[in-house]
Amino acid sequence: MYLRVSSKGVYMELFTLIICGGLALGTSLMVVFARNTVHSALWMIASFFFTAVIFLLLRVQFIAILIIIVYAGAIMMFILYAIMLLNVRISDSAKSGMKISKITGVVLLLLLLPVLVLIGMDQVIPAVKGDVTLQVMEKFGQIPVLSRFLFSEYLLPFEVVSLLLTAGIIGAVFLAKRR
Amino acid sequence: MVEHQSIYLALSALLFVIGAAGAITRRNAIIVFMCIEIMLIGVNIAFIVFSRATQSVDGIITVLFIMAVAAAEAAVGLAIFVLMFRKTGTINIEKFNLMKW
Repeated sequence: MYLRVSSKGVYMELFTLIICGGLALGTSLMVVFARNTVHSALWMIASFFFTAVIFLLLRVQFIAILIIIVYAGAIMMFILYAIMLLNVRISDSAKSGMKISKITGVVLLLLLLPVLVLIGMDQVIPAVKGDVTLQVMEKFGQIPVLSRFLFSEYLLPFEVVSLLLTAGIIGAVFLAKRR
Repeated sequence: MVEHQSIYLALSALLFVIGAAGAITRRNAIIVFMCIEIMLIGVNIAFIVFSRATQSVDGIITVLFIMAVAAAEAAVGLAIFVLMFRKTGTINIEKFNLMKW
């Protein structure tokens, strides 16, 4: 049903996009500038929630749910545990000890921004028409379509990624084990 | 063609640049790690936009793989931080200049 949006729906969508995109950018900036490491982690969780709204607006509900479960749930819990374990509540701020090399790096990154935006201009993207349209996604459901591709065409990368996750967990246990 | 495509791509680029700027200015290793996650999220948005613009499922599958790699990276990275904290008593990345001790 969400495919047939009226013109009022398009404006509502733009409004939601601007509000949630702005909040995602603001909370990401707070992650960088917060002095307290725990506050930084909590701003990061807020940033993940606003990014999940962006993914919902892009009609990838599955990814939006995964962002909340995997990032805001699992990874941020890891990070909060690590902060508590290491007891580094008060950290260095971004402003203290700003060296010339860091300033140069940030200026170069700000120069990168217009390049990235120019690449994102509409005319650069070729008008490719594939077979996985929103109508297909709506008809068969998102997870059936994704899993059909994941377990046929992308089976080898899927298995390699599962091997990578297992190796990562074993490596983490081996590293953090008290000797 | 996605509605408001340039806004999504500008948002993606801004998130990437904010994450990269944080990763090179902060010295707390955990905050650097979180800034890398912000960069990954920005890249994910761009992948989804291009996936929808080309009406293909490749970008969405790539995002799934990126999330799996980010989870593995979190496990190994935080174990390394715990180990470095035990050895040196700090997680300031400027003190992480030894490969072997």
